[in-house]
Amino acid sequence: MKPKRSLSTDISSFRLRTYRRDRRARWIITLAGYGIILSIVLIFVYLVKESLPLSFGASVQKWFGWGLPRDENVLLTGVDSYQEVVYVLTAGGKIKFFRMRDKALIQQDSLPLFPGEHLLSASKGSLQQEWFAVGTDSGRILTALIRFIPHYTDTGRVILPQTSLEETFFADPGQAAGHVERLVFRRNEEGQRFWLWETHTGELFLRHSDTEFEEVYRVSIPRPWGEHTLTALTMSYSGEHIAFGTSGGEVYWFRYADGEVVLQDRFQESEMPVSALSYLIGDNALVVGDTDGRVSVWFPVYGPSQIYKMQPIHRFRSHPAAVEQIYPSPRNRNFLTIDTRGNAHLNYSTTGRTQLEFQPASNRIQAAAIAPKANGIVVVDAQHRIGHFLLDNPHPEITLKTLLGKVWYEGYPRPAFVWQSTGGSDAFEPKFSLVPLIFGTFKGTLYAMVFSVPLALLAAIYVSQFAPYWLSRLVKPTVEIMAALPSVVIGFLGGLYFAPLFEQHLTAILIFLIMLPGVFLIFILGWRQVPESHRLRIPIGWELWFTIPVALLAISLSLTLAPYIEQGFFGGDLKQWIYMTLGMTYDTRNSIVVGFALGFAVIPIIFTVAEDALSNVPDSLTSASLALGASRWQTVRRVVLPAAAGGIFAAVMLGFGRAVGETMIVLMATGNTPIIDLSPFNGFRTMSACIAVEIPEAPVGGTLYRVLFLTALLLFTFTFIINTLSSVVGERLRKKYARF
Amino acid sequence: MKDRRISYFRQKGDAYIMGTSLGLVLSLLMVAFILGVILVKGLGFFWPSDLLYLQLKDGKHYLGEVTDREESVRFSESGEPLHIQEVQLKIGNRDLYGLDFVWIDLSDVVEQTYPAHAITIERLEYGNFYGFPQKVRWGERQWEVHHPDFPQQLRRLHHQAVANRKQIARLEKQLNRLLEPLSHVERAISLLEISPEAQTPEGRRKMQQLEEQIRQLETAIREPYTRLTRQLESRYQENRQLVLSLITADKQVKEIPLEKIVRCYFPNQMGFFQKASLYASKLWEFVSADPRESNTEGGIFPAIFGTVLMVLIMSIAVVPFGVLAAIYLCEYARPGPVVRLIRLSINNLAGVPSIVFGIFGLSFFIYMIGGSIDQLFFSSKLPEPTFGTGGILWASLTLALLTLPVVVVATEEGILAVPQANKEAALALGATRWQMIRKIILPNAMPGILTGLILAISRGAGEVAPLMITGVVKLAPSLPLDTTFPFLHLDRKFMHLGFHIYDVGFQSPNVEAAKPMVYTTALLLILLVVVLNLIAIRMRNHLRKKYKMAAF
Repeated sequence: MKPKRSLSTDISSFRLRTYRRDRRARWIITLAGYGIILSIVLIFVYLVKESLPLSFGASVQKWFGWGLPRDENVLLTGVDSYQEVVYVLTAGGKIKFFRMRDKALIQQDSLPLFPGEHLLSASKGSLQQEWFAVGTDSGRILTALIRFIPHYTDTGRVILPQTSLEETFFADPGQAAGHVERLVFRRNEEGQRFWLWETHTGELFLRHSDTEFEEVYRVSIPRPWGEHTLTALTMSYSGEHIAFGTSGGEVYWFRYADGEVVLQDRFQESEMPVSALSYLIGDNALVVGDTDGRVSVWFPVYGPSQIYKMQPIHRFRSHPAAVEQIYPSPRNRNFLTIDTRGNAHLNYSTTGRTQLEFQPASNRIQAAAIAPKANGIVVVDAQHRIGHFLLDNPHPEITLKTLLGKVWYEGYPRPAFVWQSTGGSDAFEPKFSLVPLIFGTFKGTLYAMVFSVPLALLAAIYVSQFAPYWLSRLVKPTVEIMAALPSVVIGFLGGLYFAPLFEQHLTAILIFLIMLPGVFLIFILGWRQVPESHRLRIPIGWELWFTIPVALLAISLSLTLAPYIEQGFFGGDLKQWIYMTLGMTYDTRNSIVVGFALGFAVIPIIFTVAEDALSNVPDSLTSASLALGASRWQTVRRVVLPAAAGGIFAAVMLGFGRAVGETMIVLMATGNTPIIDLSPFNGFRTMSACIAVEIPEAPVGGTLYRVLFLTALLLFTFTFIINTLSSVVGERLRKKYARF
Repeated sequence: MKDRRISYFRQKGDAYIMGTSLGLVLSLLMVAFILGVILVKGLGFFWPSDLLYLQLKDGKHYLGEVTDREESVRFSESGEPLHIQEVQLKIGNRDLYGLDFVWIDLSDVVEQTYPAHAITIERLEYGNFYGFPQKVRWGERQWEVHHPDFPQQLRRLHHQAVANRKQIARLEKQLNRLLEPLSHVERAISLLEISPEAQTPEGRRKMQQLEEQIRQLETAIREPYTRLTRQLESRYQENRQLVLSLITADKQVKEIPLEKIVRCYFPNQMGFFQKASLYASKLWEFVSADPRESNTEGGIFPAIFGTVLMVLIMSIAVVPFGVLAAIYLCEYARPGPVVRLIRLSINNLAGVPSIVFGIFGLSFFIYMIGGSIDQLFFSSKLPEPTFGTGGILWASLTLALLTLPVVVVATEEGILAVPQANKEAALALGATRWQMIRKIILPNAMPGILTGLILAISRGAGEVAPLMITGVVKLAPSLPLDTTFPFLHLDRKFMHLGFHIYDVGFQSPNVEAAKPMVYTTALLLILLVVVLNLIAIRMRNHLRKKYKMAAF
């Protein structure tokens, strides 16, 4: 159709505009409709995205390697926290610093050795700073500190290493040419220094210098291992614990305090000689490696005999050759074990997991180091090649087992479910068991449901089936307002008003639970005596005038009788009695308070949905039943309730979902202690409250942050299932009754 | 089958019916009790109650407001029940006694009176003071309490001190504004000092420039600076001389500077109407003033303001989205898997715990979108985040997502109430679907949309958990809306009534003293929510009636 001019052009352009507008509107509206699906998917995706990195394991990636000049053996190596400068300490007492970027030797320092003097042993003294000590073949021990000082220039950051000699002394002043064969050096956080060494004659010495008081102790150490020889020795980084390993496979644990070294315990992993020992951060866990390649972690456990005994906690994947070196991570419970054939394992103590197995060199490894931020490993092999590995291991402490299983943490007498996300010191180990939180969530929900389901369902039955019109017209808005009460108000009342009130009237409340049915039964029996002709004359809706006095009477009776019963049966103090007889402590903010407050929040939901379901049972069904001569109650019992069962189920489910996710009420009305205990008289911590409390302090991308997202994901999944279930049931119900 | 005999009584089921009604009664009793508690505790707080003077057997004296009475039964050694009457007295004077409340057993009391000249003083610090005034001083001049001019003078001098205090605050603000450029330069200098640039010649030159700038600024502001400080000094001087001296119930002497007094009155001399007017003024202070003493006293205006603003922003976000989605469901979508999926999503959005929305808001809005905005537009301020941290915008958007199902469901109901005939008529006249929606559906479904909006507002106003992690703070330094450009600061943190309840009730150092404040805040919040809901219920009932009319 050819467009004519003027008017029709206007019309067609108007039409075109209208049409376009219509299309645009359709497009936008459809987008909004799909937007709803998108938003729920987005929530899910983000929860997954933030919690998924927890499941990524460790990975190591060789960054580069290069050969050092082959002159002397390397005793120690280390790297700065930016992983820009690496150093090696050679047997000739030279400290060489290399820049990673261009492999250039940027600085070389020498320890002041006598001519011809060589280093025999070396030991790093701290996990946080590059303290080290070396023992020489002329019986001297030199102690030094390397600092990496960052300088900022126009072109960027430059790391300038600085070596300072801190202390030099003769290992045994009487014997000038004694060799220091083995040396362990420690400098703890208070600045105290400890040297533990073995001379070539096999004697053991401990020197302890307390810089604050300028005192030096020199202690000789007992050697209780008889005909076996000493094969490994170590000391904790606090200088408090000492461990020796022998050729018989035994490990001796000593404690050093007040100038005395005292044997605490001895234990044996196997018959094979112990080849390496090391303490981990936290100074509690001891890693033991033997010549068969076995690796295990032990720590002292407070036993029933009131003393600490070393116990084997975790065994790790074995090496194919003797374990030679163990390097603890300066950040967490990771440690690196290296065997004589150049295999390295990265293990995580708490999880008992060998995270990585790799071979940095095909021959013996002379020295290795974990970078200060635990994000890299430096290795020097027997052919003087340096290898630098980037380590990506953001969440080593998380496995399915630590999240959901019992874990044996340092300092605990047995494996346990523990949630404790933050602690005081660097060496604190966060404990992320979700079990106490899940338990707490269901405990709170359970108490809430026990309280709310009967009340809500009874009320719904009454309002939908028996109540007169004026009453239901009054009740429904009331319940709706009850549903709208902000949960923060309910929680506040629960925590600050009802918790003390319940504590004060605990006896009365417990009595009320018995008193109410009792009074009710008595009233019913009395009612039965009324002649039927009178009974039938009472109009519908009068039940309230019957039950209100029942409730009030029961309340006032409980309150009046409570002190007498408490005095008579519970020795005057119920809380004391509970503690003495049942062994339960009474917290002010406990499960009963939460059950009440949370139940109060849930009642309107259950009531509304159940009432809807009950009212929607088709009149034809009830009419048929009544016409057949059934009483009103029989109709309700046999016809209405079975017909509405699905809806009632959906109502309970919805209430359940709300109780599971409710945050403010449990946050305010419980003590938020993550414990597993069924007692109604103490509190708990729920998943939702835990998120609310801890997420503001969780560093972004950290383990706690991700675990909290995982918790949220759990909550989401759980409520998703419940909601889907209840809506599917509701849908069925609607279809089922569509035909009546 | 055997013929089972069931008693007629049981068949009739009276007992069961009564049992069901018991469920209703208990639920209603609970609602009544809870609302009653909030009402009494919340409204009672501002009533100026009489001051009770007690003398005990052991010679102690107390003066204070009765806050609670309790009767309990305890048992003596021999098992005799004793009825004990106790009163809780708010004795105030926190700076002298350390604790605000005491419980007193009435059997220990020798004398109870309501002395006429007992005074209640509300102070800026340390809470209330209860005592007996002695004299009011202005430098050398003083008026004893028995002087006929005393009440007049007290009022006049108090006004004068308060006026001075306000003037001082104004002057200090002026002074700060005067010094502001100076502090900017000083900050630049200290930043330069710690930066690696300081050592370079470039840096040194910059440093000299900055120092020169400081000198210039100093000479420029010298004249107004001295003028302001002189004015300030004279006001300080005068306020130091304005003092009320009092004596407490246990005969301690206390001098209170008049400027520290918010309000003072003799409750035992006041009649009902005087008290009522004082009550009204305290209530007004509560809703209009800023909080004092770490939120435990003063008003809650910033919290009210923050709540309202957040709810407004939330509405702007949620209403278009929700309404469009509802239109899609009612008018465009054909029954099928997509609609089922959307309904499922709505159900789930309604059922997902609010804290999950909060944590989603944190990761998506704040870190993802906010972080990107910072990178793009505020990179000069990094690492200090602008939008990459909690703020009113993110909190509002999070709540918008949370309240979306409410709006969708209510709007749908509104749309369904529009008679089919009207829609068909519009289409038959040649209207496009969009025209029909705009001219027929939207106007007629307006009550439904408004119901949804009101319900969403009431839900949003009462929700706390997601806000706690997306931008609410206990004390915001400035409102998110003010007179400096760009007027509406979407990145600012804000205060919220619900969070105020949580914070003051559970995290303030003196919970017992803060309680009344929390009850009143809770009452306000409940009133807000209940009124909104009542409006929504009325509108919906109206709509349903209309729907019924249209259906038949």
